[in-house]
Amino acid sequence: MNSVIFLTIVLLALSSYFFGRKKAILIQSNKRLTALPKFYGYYLAIWCGAPAFLLYALWSIFEPSIVRFFILSDYSSQGLLEGELNLFYEKVKSLSRNQYSGELTAELQRSAEKYLNFRDIAKWSKVVIVLSLLIASTGYAYTKISNNTKTREPVEIFLKGVFFLSSLAAILTTIGIIFSLLFQTIEFFQVIPLFDFVFGMHWYPAKAFVRDASEALDPSMYSDTFGAVPIFAGTFFIALIAMCVAIPIGLLSGIYMAEYASKRLRQYAKPVIEILAGIPTVVYGFFAALTVGPFLKDLGLSLGLEVSAESALAAGGVMGIMIIPFISSLSDDVITSVPQNLRDGSYAMGATKSETIKRVIFPAALPGIVGSILLGVSRAIGETMIVVMASGLAANLTLNPLESTSTITAQIVVILIGDQQFGDPKTQAAFALGLSLFIVTLVLNIVALSVVKKYREKYE
Amino acid sequence: MNKIEAKNVDVYYGAKQALFDINMDIEANKVTALIGPSGCGKSTFLRCLNRMNDVIDICKVSGVVKINDYDINQKDTDVVRLREKVGMIFQKPNPFPKTIYENISYGPEIHGIAQSKSEMDNIVEESLRKAALWEEVKDRIHEPGTGLSGGQQQRLCIARTISIKPEVILMDEPCSALDPIATAQIEELIDELRKEHTIIIVTHSMSQAARVSQNTGFFHLGKLIEVGSTDKIFKNPTQQQTQDYITGRFG
Amino acid sequence: MNKEERLIKRYKAEKRFQFYGKAAIFMALLFLVVFLTKIFSTGYTAFQKTWLVIPVNYNADLLYLDPDKKPTTEDINDADFYEFGIETFITLDPDASEDQIMELKKMFAFTFERELKYYLLDNPDSFGKTVDVKLTASDDLDQVFKGNYPRDIPENRRRASDYQLKIFDKLNEDGRVISEFNASFFTNADSREAELAGIASSFMGSLFSILVCLSIAFPVALLAAVYLEEFAPKNRFTDFIEVNINNLAAVPSIVFGLLGLGVLLAVFGLPRSTPLVGGITLSLMTLPTIIIAARASLKAVPPSIREAALAMGASKMQTTMHHTVPLALPGTLSGTIIGLAQALGETAPLILIGMVAFVNTIPGTPMDPAASLPVQIYIWAESAERGFVEKVSACIMVLLFFLIFMNLGAQLIRHKFEKKWN
Repeated sequence: MNSVIFLTIVLLALSSYFFGRKKAILIQSNKRLTALPKFYGYYLAIWCGAPAFLLYALWSIFEPSIVRFFILSDYSSQGLLEGELNLFYEKVKSLSRNQYSGELTAELQRSAEKYLNFRDIAKWSKVVIVLSLLIASTGYAYTKISNNTKTREPVEIFLKGVFFLSSLAAILTTIGIIFSLLFQTIEFFQVIPLFDFVFGMHWYPAKAFVRDASEALDPSMYSDTFGAVPIFAGTFFIALIAMCVAIPIGLLSGIYMAEYASKRLRQYAKPVIEILAGIPTVVYGFFAALTVGPFLKDLGLSLGLEVSAESALAAGGVMGIMIIPFISSLSDDVITSVPQNLRDGSYAMGATKSETIKRVIFPAALPGIVGSILLGVSRAIGETMIVVMASGLAANLTLNPLESTSTITAQIVVILIGDQQFGDPKTQAAFALGLSLFIVTLVLNIVALSVVKKYREKYE
Repeated sequence: MNKIEAKNVDVYYGAKQALFDINMDIEANKVTALIGPSGCGKSTFLRCLNRMNDVIDICKVSGVVKINDYDINQKDTDVVRLREKVGMIFQKPNPFPKTIYENISYGPEIHGIAQSKSEMDNIVEESLRKAALWEEVKDRIHEPGTGLSGGQQQRLCIARTISIKPEVILMDEPCSALDPIATAQIEELIDELRKEHTIIIVTHSMSQAARVSQNTGFFHLGKLIEVGSTDKIFKNPTQQQTQDYITGRFG
Repeated sequence: MNKEERLIKRYKAEKRFQFYGKAAIFMALLFLVVFLTKIFSTGYTAFQKTWLVIPVNYNADLLYLDPDKKPTTEDINDADFYEFGIETFITLDPDASEDQIMELKKMFAFTFERELKYYLLDNPDSFGKTVDVKLTASDDLDQVFKGNYPRDIPENRRRASDYQLKIFDKLNEDGRVISEFNASFFTNADSREAELAGIASSFMGSLFSILVCLSIAFPVALLAAVYLEEFAPKNRFTDFIEVNINNLAAVPSIVFGLLGLGVLLAVFGLPRSTPLVGGITLSLMTLPTIIIAARASLKAVPPSIREAALAMGASKMQTTMHHTVPLALPGTLSGTIIGLAQALGETAPLILIGMVAFVNTIPGTPMDPAASLPVQIYIWAESAERGFVEKVSACIMVLLFFLIFMNLGAQLIRHKFEKKWN
């Protein structure tokens, strides 16, 4: 039904384009128009489609909650819990679709009938109201068209409005992220004290069993369950290992590319290294779990060391490989943008190339390089699949790279894979972790981007 | 004896020839000015004298450039040692993004000239004094060199260059980015530096060439048209082209 | 230390430094080579499938069919091919004990019933005769035949028993073990049995997700870029949008998964595990990438073009739509393809919105539950069976093929259609 209404609106809007244009051409035969006939067509099409579509969209968004309100209004006075009402409503819906297999009660049956009734009324009134709005607005615009109607300007303003709305998409996404994270996190902290989360030393989300929706929450159940210190530590530890691999290799290859490499080497090696950045992270995860982990374990055995097959070293090391191209190409860019006259100044003093790089170019490029490293760190912290597949899932508090440890991202996946139940502290804990991750990476990104931007401006 | 002798120098940028068969001798402890319209190759020639053209990938130099009777264009010439002897000042002041002190100490440090901190302090002070900058910056030598005014920055670059006591100083339009007062200060300095160094200066301004130099070479379209004492070039040139340029008929 | 010694030392330092640089590049390239070799060497065998060709006697009695009448399609469909299969397997070793018969059965994929039935349906003439029929080997034997399983370890640590290997070797000597191109890897949906598992369902899942992602992200991003670059007043609000876009581009992908879960599924109630939700989530993720690319291409259009159009009396909107946007389109398109390639390789957000469910049907619309290629890699990689390892690598090869293809496409568009301004 919805797609039929939608298609009808689109078709009517298209046809009113031709009506508008035709009327304009008729007028044109004896009077001068203020714009090309096609603008009259656009004008009418917009008047036809836009208000109707807007109403249609708003209606579709609000209809379910209004219907729900009417159905549940019979019961909301009975002092039922929110969870029970939800459950009841779900039952009503599935009954109305003939998919209900539970116990039938008279209440349920009555509500299901009422539900179907309401849906019917809503559907038909939607069709009637949307179509009458469409006819009214089209008629209004059609009668308004005359030789001196301004049509190009309104059409352009309308388009500009659409463009503007598109540009808000990024902001809406950010708001959506913050909203979804914050909402769940606040609920989480109503059960688990913030202090326990930030300073708690034990993280065992598996202890928090999925609970029946009607059961009351008992916070004491969760004491010593959601202490995030081990996973914060694990996250930074694995990121640290990754950066120990990525910084030296990335930076040195970036410097070599920028200062020494012949044109040919640059032409071929640079894109090849950048392939490393294009490989999906799940592939790295597979590589780390299948090849690097067992390799390190065997290597450890031959050296008499106890190495976990899911060591932090394997995950961090492979993550470091993934980050190499980010650091190398960013630092390459940054070094290339150091003005040539600084190099000339140093060479003219009789400095060798490496002296020039180490003592003049590197200090000059330092802010930009720091920026690129920070972006790399932010990637390492936010990286998920490598850790999920190659590192442990149990949150050990350890500083031994040969043991397994876990990260924020891995825990989010562990908690949310499979069925999730909203309103449960375990699910909410994943969102609280997500919010911490978002904040940390956001701060890193803002700092890094502003450092790089300042640096660029300095040498422009 | 001539400090520098250039013989049959050709320079190519890729397929384009920038200098054609340049032969020029430069006398020691004098200021030699290279003049000519822009794009005539005078800066390119200057950069041949300390092999700064090596920095540009597509640039190819052939011919002989002898400094102290040693051909610097040989394959095994050590450019590091060469540039220690032949310093260079650039068109735009290019102090390193470091403190004034570090800017000057850079050269002595990489070449291992100073053995101790106090020796280094002395070199820094002496170089700044010679560059007539000491009085202006002595209270802030540990502040960034990039914070100085344009004229001060250029004198800082001169101080940086003379800190390693080069025999020859190349100057590539050193005053083109400066105001008249700063220019006057640099010109005065050049005359002072002549006592200890051989100076070759590329300049756009004929009056500057007339003021600071003893000898002048006139370049046009990659060729050295005429060379001789500044007096003679400006008052009584032998070539018509030189005459036209000096009197401002083109360029 | 005199000057000469010092100079020698300085040159040594120079050499050392250059060596470090070369070593770093070499290391990076080495990683890539090791990586690709590993994937290809474990993955290429998955494109081959092992079959056992065994003599089958389509005897009427064994099938409980009337031997004098040609069986109809219904007759064959109703016949019991399980018992028939077992009887057939016994012919491989008539002296087999009860246990050994079970081992014989396990040498074949559990689809042997269907395979025997379809053979008869396709070749009704073989009724009552003994013919050679090609049956899918079990993944254990498949792996043994491909040399991925060591045979020289104690029997109790092996998946294939000594007895099975004995029969298998005999078949092999008779030339009854054949290896052919594994078409079912591309046409089958996921399966619990490694020898039958294919990528068709996850491929369709990826395709639908990418199409949804493209149809949302491209128009929105292009219009947003046009607004920001051509129309937006320079004020605090547009600065804010700009900062927002740059930061959004660096937000970890898993956060977008939380967004999809918390808003698209929980608030808007869209169907879980579907490419529709996956595509919307991915589109939000690729949006900033495309906006940034589109803005860069719009910026690269020289102002003189705009001025020329404006001077002809075109409105700002006409100038933009007729001149600026078409000139910026190639760059925008290549940025879009690169963004889509990123989205194609993305796993974590899809796991969170439930596209990790076991799907053994091929989805027909974006509203059907599905996995995607990277998620399939994850699912198989987490599976304990040895037979899946080569499948994972093969799936990675397919995924990398598409990524390379898309990136080359982006390069091509950029080189071929983008106008270079001087």
